Amino acid sequence: MIKSSVNFASMMSGTLESLSGLGEDGSSIGSDSEINGLAVRRTDKYGFLGGTQYSEGSDKDIRVDVARQRELKWLDMFNNWDKWVSRRFQKVKLRCRKGIPSSLRAKAWQLLSNSKELLDSNPGKFEELEREQGDPKWLDIIEKDLHRQFPFHEMFAARGGHGQQDLYRVLKAYTVYRPEEGYCQAQAPVAAVLLMHMPAEHAFWCLVQICETYLPGYYSAGLEAIQLDGEIFFSLLRRVCPMAYRHLKKFKIDPILYMTEWFMCVFSRTLPWSCVLRVWDMFFCEGVKIVFRVGLVLLKQMLGSVDKLREVQGMYETMERLRNIPPESVREDLLVQEVVSLAVTEALIERECSIQVRKWRESRGELTHQPVRRLHGTRDIHEHKRRPQHQEIRPSFSCYSFRKKTVKEQKRTWKQKTPRSGMRERKGGGLLYSAS
Amino acid sequence: MGSDEAYNFVFKVVLIGESGVGKSNLLSRFTKNEFNHDSRTTIGVEFSTRTIQLKSLIIKAQIWDTAGLERYRAITSAYYRGAVGALLVYDITKHLTYESVERWLKELYDHADPHIVVMLVGNKTDLGSERSVPTEDAKDFAEKNGLLFLETSALESTNVETAFQNVLGEIHRKVSSKEVTRGSISAVSLSSPVPRAAGDPEEKKPCCRNL
Repeated sequence: MIKSSVNFASMMSGTLESLSGLGEDGSSIGSDSEINGLAVRRTDKYGFLGGTQYSEGSDKDIRVDVARQRELKWLDMFNNWDKWVSRRFQKVKLRCRKGIPSSLRAKAWQLLSNSKELLDSNPGKFEELEREQGDPKWLDIIEKDLHRQFPFHEMFAARGGHGQQDLYRVLKAYTVYRPEEGYCQAQAPVAAVLLMHMPAEHAFWCLVQICETYLPGYYSAGLEAIQLDGEIFFSLLRRVCPMAYRHLKKFKIDPILYMTEWFMCVFSRTLPWSCVLRVWDMFFCEGVKIVFRVGLVLLKQMLGSVDKLREVQGMYETMERLRNIPPESVREDLLVQEVVSLAVTEALIERECSIQVRKWRESRGELTHQPVRRLHGTRDIHEHKRRPQHQEIRPSFSCYSFRKKTVKEQKRTWKQKTPRSGMRERKGGGLLYSAS
Repeated sequence: MGSDEAYNFVFKVVLIGESGVGKSNLLSRFTKNEFNHDSRTTIGVEFSTRTIQLKSLIIKAQIWDTAGLERYRAITSAYYRGAVGALLVYDITKHLTYESVERWLKELYDHADPHIVVMLVGNKTDLGSERSVPTEDAKDFAEKNGLLFLETSALESTNVETAFQNVLGEIHRKVSSKEVTRGSISAVSLSSPVPRAAGDPEEKKPCCRNL
């Protein structure tokens, strides 16, 4: 792997201190060497200069011939992408689970998420959004956040550097594109991960897909979607790891206290970087299911045995463990293996979703944002786009995305779509999409 | 910071205020004596603890830090639960962050124990030349609303220690003078590594007998 180095002196002021963050004189910057009197530090192979996500080089590199083989297979898939998705999706999925070759990751993510198509069908749109003035309310918050995303990554370390500039462009463009949504802080790390791989315009459309198709409502006002997923997650935990479930319940640790950052940032601030990339590879292909599974595997790992629970007897101790997952306890291959073998399907998530939506309505009243549906990864997106517009809501499992609608609009939509879509009214007034 | 560490009380204190006023740096300055110019944005909840001695008592301060962005307020009821102290932080160089103090105060009283000890904290005094909130204004506001008040600089480490010490001291004073109700005391979450059901006496810890 090529190692790049970053010249500290070339960075803008304020950065050095933050990067060291460990000692006033920067002495604790580890393997720095002195070149021409300037401190130079090597990044890890992902571009991190330090911090908890810095890889110590313990990751095993894939053998060159294997990597080459994989690249060829992916290039072949790129050439006939639609066919692969519609006819040989299992193979695509398998290859995502094995890890996308880093040289092709950007293109793969854009194809998997279908953001490539959005990009191609909206020429000039990004520039147009950029030219708009934007709402100062959002711009102000975005500006405050620019230097607070992956401050240990070479791309985002320098104040006003190209990484931070691109981040601003992407996040601002989204607030112009969806003024009713605005900006939510968890979008910044997500956009930053994308920018580590692709140019701003591409990252923008990819972000759009994540916010609107994969995780609809996660970043919307009220954060209802994330709260619902917290409840779904907790309920799934009961099945997957009753011991961890009981422990969290005993200490009254709401899911929202530990899973918000995990889910909203798709683990980008939680896991060692090699794991983040593998999780994102699977996430783009298989959707939110992967996010649930990774969270469940983590809880299983940290709270899944008597020995482990003995170390965290208390709310604070437990929360601390969940907030600071020791990188050495998450091994890339083991994590992926466990995630792949966990029996948490889309259908199960959807079933749990309708239960939790009903509970929500019973205990808290109507949701502010009406549940529509989210798409579970590449195949789901692929099928969805091939369906004619008027059958937009298909007879699938219940789910929700969160698009604001007026009451009038809702009534109209239900009336129009109910007979066609196989959706039926529930007794309690809740909506359920019957399974096909 | 093991769970078997000896202490008399655990006090949960929350940090609130607008995004970017320096909550996370106040936390890291107090608990780790660290300051980061580019600390990551807080998403969801972060927290840290520090054990301090207050007269003859050992107090474990459990300090919770949350995202300041309005959007996150939807999920903060779990965050306020059991809190006995709060630092309501604004940035002395950004008047808007001061203007939102009242809204935060309402938010706090809506969710937290009514006896919660609150300190209004004007942070970033190191940027004195850019000050836009006069000390007297904030001080008056604090007095009128029964809040403690202090100006701090997490960067220069000015008054940070004092701010937390004062809040913790005031909480202790309230607890030991029984100003708080029995119900509120259980919210103090007495110093047991294994929390017990309300009313379950904890023999090992002397403090419980005082209550």
